[in-house]
Amino acid sequence: MRNAPLGRVALAAKGLRCQLGSGSSSFSLEVASLDLRAGEVLVILGPNGAGKSTLLRALAGLERSVDRNAVQHGPGPVTLVFQRPATFSGSVLFNVRAALLGRRLPEVERRDRIARALDRFDIAHLADHNARTLSGGEIRRLALARAFVLEPAVLLLDEPFDDLDAEGQRQLSLDLQLAIAETDVAVAMVTHDLRRALLLADRIAVLMRGELVQHGLRDEVLLRPDTPEIARTVGMTNLVTGHVVRRTNEICWIEISEGFEIPTTADLEIGCNAWVGIRPEHLKLDIGRGGGQPIGKANVESLVSDGLATVVRLRSRDQTFTTHLLSGRGLARRLRPGDVVSLAVEPDNVHARPIDSEGV
Amino acid sequence: MSGVDLDLIAEITLRTLWVCGSALVAALAIGIPIGIALGGRGFAGRGLVVSSVNAGMGAPPVVVGLGCYILFSRSGLFGGVGLIYSQSGMIIAQTLIAVPLVIGITLAAVGALDEEWDLQVRTLGIGRGWRLWLLLREIRMGLLAAVIAALGGILSEVGASQMVGGNLAGETRVLTTAIMMETRMGNFESALGLAAVLIGLTFLVAGMLTAVQQSGRIR
Repeated sequence: MRNAPLGRVALAAKGLRCQLGSGSSSFSLEVASLDLRAGEVLVILGPNGAGKSTLLRALAGLERSVDRNAVQHGPGPVTLVFQRPATFSGSVLFNVRAALLGRRLPEVERRDRIARALDRFDIAHLADHNARTLSGGEIRRLALARAFVLEPAVLLLDEPFDDLDAEGQRQLSLDLQLAIAETDVAVAMVTHDLRRALLLADRIAVLMRGELVQHGLRDEVLLRPDTPEIARTVGMTNLVTGHVVRRTNEICWIEISEGFEIPTTADLEIGCNAWVGIRPEHLKLDIGRGGGQPIGKANVESLVSDGLATVVRLRSRDQTFTTHLLSGRGLARRLRPGDVVSLAVEPDNVHARPIDSEGV
Repeated sequence: MSGVDLDLIAEITLRTLWVCGSALVAALAIGIPIGIALGGRGFAGRGLVVSSVNAGMGAPPVVVGLGCYILFSRSGLFGGVGLIYSQSGMIIAQTLIAVPLVIGITLAAVGALDEEWDLQVRTLGIGRGWRLWLLLREIRMGLLAAVIAALGGILSEVGASQMVGGNLAGETRVLTTAIMMETRMGNFESALGLAAVLIGLTFLVAGMLTAVQQSGRIR
């Protein structure tokens, strides 16, 4: 994620409609407005079947049912790296060189571009290898090198970290981050990996059932999702409902069960029903060191660690909550299933919206 | 033919190569584009077309020959063109035998590529001509298999050549029809000589193509 000012619009979609199939198996995608800016990464999130890959194809001009005028882009190539990149028979070098077939470039520039692309994704040492013998991670690097050799203005990435192990994902996302920063390319990326998405995203778009339901700056979408469904998609896993019982100064208190009240800075009317969303990293286990308003007690149900973070599942009556602790330190080492802990939150970090038609 | 007339065998062999070679070139020119189109696109009725191609791959040459005979004979639809008992007529009949083989094998080779291969090449912004070059390069092993199958099919067929060509000496006599004639006449020595040439030709062509295929696989 970068803090630079917004770049120029590299690709703009307006009134984009895409129809796939017919009858009961048909699928339609509708996007009123979406733009990609130079040097910026837009991450597209959504459940399976929401139309994320279809949107990328539509932006790449590969969907026949999309009106040509619905997607406009500036000078420079627009290219899509598929979820399962195809390789051409022959060497890695041939595969990268093939992307420049038919382009009138001086041989020196052609060689420079190829060498830069191979270096950028750390596959220069594989240049003479048969592309068919590469591992899954190397094929992804080859596909990215093949895309970057075009010096694209817009790069569309469909699940670029799919099937990679944790270290492969980390390395590739670092290389990708560097390549994006150096080339000022506009990127739209579909990924299931929320952690990688959050590392790279400047903006987030959420797709549900073929519709762009929320789109905005990264933190705006992460911290202020419009609906509980979007909240779940962006990793706001602590979702409960309640009603506003009191207001003090700038803070509203939402009772979710007897004696369990959650404070929020959201502007809500007393008595109104509301859904509440708290990101796991914002739900604290109160150990008497301050840091947030205490909201109630809960039992530790389980602790699962991936070596870096420990995911703690908690239960308070019929509500379940999740929080993250740093593995191997402090509470993460001491807590055991069945322990009773106090929960705390900062009212600023509690997202709440009145309930209209949306349930939790 | 008494004994083995080497000049005559050479003449028949050259004619065989000319007729079969021409038919092969025509079959590839017709079959490869159709195979690529059928392999890459889904359209209404594709299943029917593919089934017809598959049926055509197993069509008996003698039946193709009969169809051509009816069309090319004086009272046939193309009776006025003078194709019956001509090398041109034989080339057309052999082309009809080879085209389904070329289409079927090309179609299978294109179908074996990644489902999104064409889209992935298109998104690199590669022009149509170069995309076709890349595709032919990708399916070259399949195309070699198509050449082997088609050439094998037309070099060894006798039914269509006999019916459409009529086995006229110095005109339409090819290796297969000559072998049949010599056998009927009891000239087994000549028949065996001609058969050896035919088998040699088949082995030579298949061997050359296999060598190319193998070298391509190793690269």
